[in-house]
Amino acid sequence: MSPISLHRRDALVGMAAAALTPTTAGLSTFGLGATFAPVPARAKTRRYDLRPVEVAAGVWMIEGAREVFAPANGGAIVNIVLLETRQGAVVIDTGSTLGMGAEIRAFADDRLGGVATVVNTHHHPDHWFGNGAFADRQIVALPQTAAACAQYGQDFAASLYAILGPWMSGTSPLPASGTTEAGEARIGGRALRLLALSGHTQADLAILDQDSGTLIAGDLLFLDRAPSLPDADYGIWLKALDRLAQLQPSGTVPGHGGFHRSSAALAQTRAYLEATRARLTQAADLGLAPIEAMSAGPAPAFAALGANPEEYLRSVIHRWADHETEALPLVGGL
Amino acid sequence: MGALLTSLLPGGDRPLILPATGAAAVGGDPFDSGMWPLHREAYLGKEARWSNDPAIAVLAPKAAENSAHVPFLIDATALPGRVDEILVTVDYSPFAHAMTFRPGRALPFLGFAVKYEVAGALRASARIGQDWHVGAAWVSALGGGCSAPSVAHARPDWQLGFGEMRARIWPETGRLRVNIRHPQDTGLADGVAAHFLTELFLLDADGAEIAALDLFEPLEENPSLTFLLPQDLARGEVTIRARDNLGNGFRGKVSGAEGAP
Ligand SMILES: [Zn+2]
Repeated sequence: MSPISLHRRDALVGMAAAALTPTTAGLSTFGLGATFAPVPARAKTRRYDLRPVEVAAGVWMIEGAREVFAPANGGAIVNIVLLETRQGAVVIDTGSTLGMGAEIRAFADDRLGGVATVVNTHHHPDHWFGNGAFADRQIVALPQTAAACAQYGQDFAASLYAILGPWMSGTSPLPASGTTEAGEARIGGRALRLLALSGHTQADLAILDQDSGTLIAGDLLFLDRAPSLPDADYGIWLKALDRLAQLQPSGTVPGHGGFHRSSAALAQTRAYLEATRARLTQAADLGLAPIEAMSAGPAPAFAALGANPEEYLRSVIHRWADHETEALPLVGGL
Repeated sequence: MGALLTSLLPGGDRPLILPATGAAAVGGDPFDSGMWPLHREAYLGKEARWSNDPAIAVLAPKAAENSAHVPFLIDATALPGRVDEILVTVDYSPFAHAMTFRPGRALPFLGFAVKYEVAGALRASARIGQDWHVGAAWVSALGGGCSAPSVAHARPDWQLGFGEMRARIWPETGRLRVNIRHPQDTGLADGVAAHFLTELFLLDADGAEIAALDLFEPLEENPSLTFLLPQDLARGEVTIRARDNLGNGFRGKVSGAEGAP
């Protein structure tokens, strides 16, 4: 983000503030969240009752709901993986809230001998907003991921407070303090291969657990849950899928969706990206306005995926300009 | 609603976004509440005759995924009579008046996007003679469970390509879409002067006005606009002329004639 666009963002917040002046008690604290009716505080912190399942030897998975952020799910919409090692668990992603992170931490402490290290696969908040529960441990991410977390953390927090309300209690963004890079790593005797890819975002870390052959794909793979495209680059993402296809893992944990021993997520994510790209290209090329493209809904084959149509609607908003630039010839200027 | 193209996409015959009237169009309160009593007096006139008319459709997403770009579409083609102007207001915005569209020889149909940070209604008031026909759509500035902000605010310096105009006519459907690279600064941010488009005209091959738009601060950055032209105009040449508050002029030309690029 250039300094100029930072100002522009301020300008928008300024619009909100000016409009809400008489009634906005919480604006400075929660930013955008203040535009919502206050959520009544609950006496007791809510619990997620996360249920880790050992999907492969020493590979524990906590499966998220195949939904978008909603008060009913508290942000438990993302897959978390804990790899058992002699030095404790390697925790891959930490969930959407401090409370969720704390439950993951408790499982690692009680059952896996503590926490060896924490890895954030990318900067989307469901993958790292639980970092606060691991503040005393090493937390690493790709350099671009850590930078994006620092840059957008407060915006994410404002949105998530507005959506999740009391679930967010105590949560504040804690970006990874350490960086990691592509290559082989050995932690507590466990051999890992880290792949620095991109396409879902500007930096997407995938991890191959060499001991079990399990691929922890982060959000490069989705299964039976619509992929999130707000920060996507279709072409780069498809190339990343080619890389993942070469790994031939024994099993796969996608960022969202179930553990599986086939190439289902790879095929489905590829098909979804290609179909959505083609749909929006067609919409822009037919002269549709973005609201019409939204109203038409996802490509029919993917309409029933978890988190659709919400994810599709987001995709139109964030990706529309790319397609429109292709569809509209340059005809003049200043 | 015959002017919409939603059904051109596979599965689009069951649209997800439908127009609403009455309380449902403005978030649950009575239609004549919120800022509307003030706005209608200020913009339509104290004694204005108005009604909430289901024949004017305003389409918007329920939740603003990106509050800097909230898309709307106003379709007043079902109103009986010739629409003189459509006035667009946003209930909760420091700049309530977003735009006024004088369709002239174009159809009373307009797509655009606005900055929208506060939950509330956008209202479209179409005037036919002395009567105002008012429609609205309500948008929550965040929410629907789908709106963690994206990293999409990142983009190259705005001066790159400033003023660039992209446009195309689809003669079969009468669509005209225009995009102009413009920062659309509201002037509310410290140290950033107001810089936004103030007017846009569509002109025919003889230079005569087809339609006109008065534009104000709420219009999105790098705005895109969607118009609907009658067959004869959609098969000819159309010049698009725009101006901003700093005196910059923008100009481009499109053609819907056979064999046009
Ligand atoms: Zn993600």
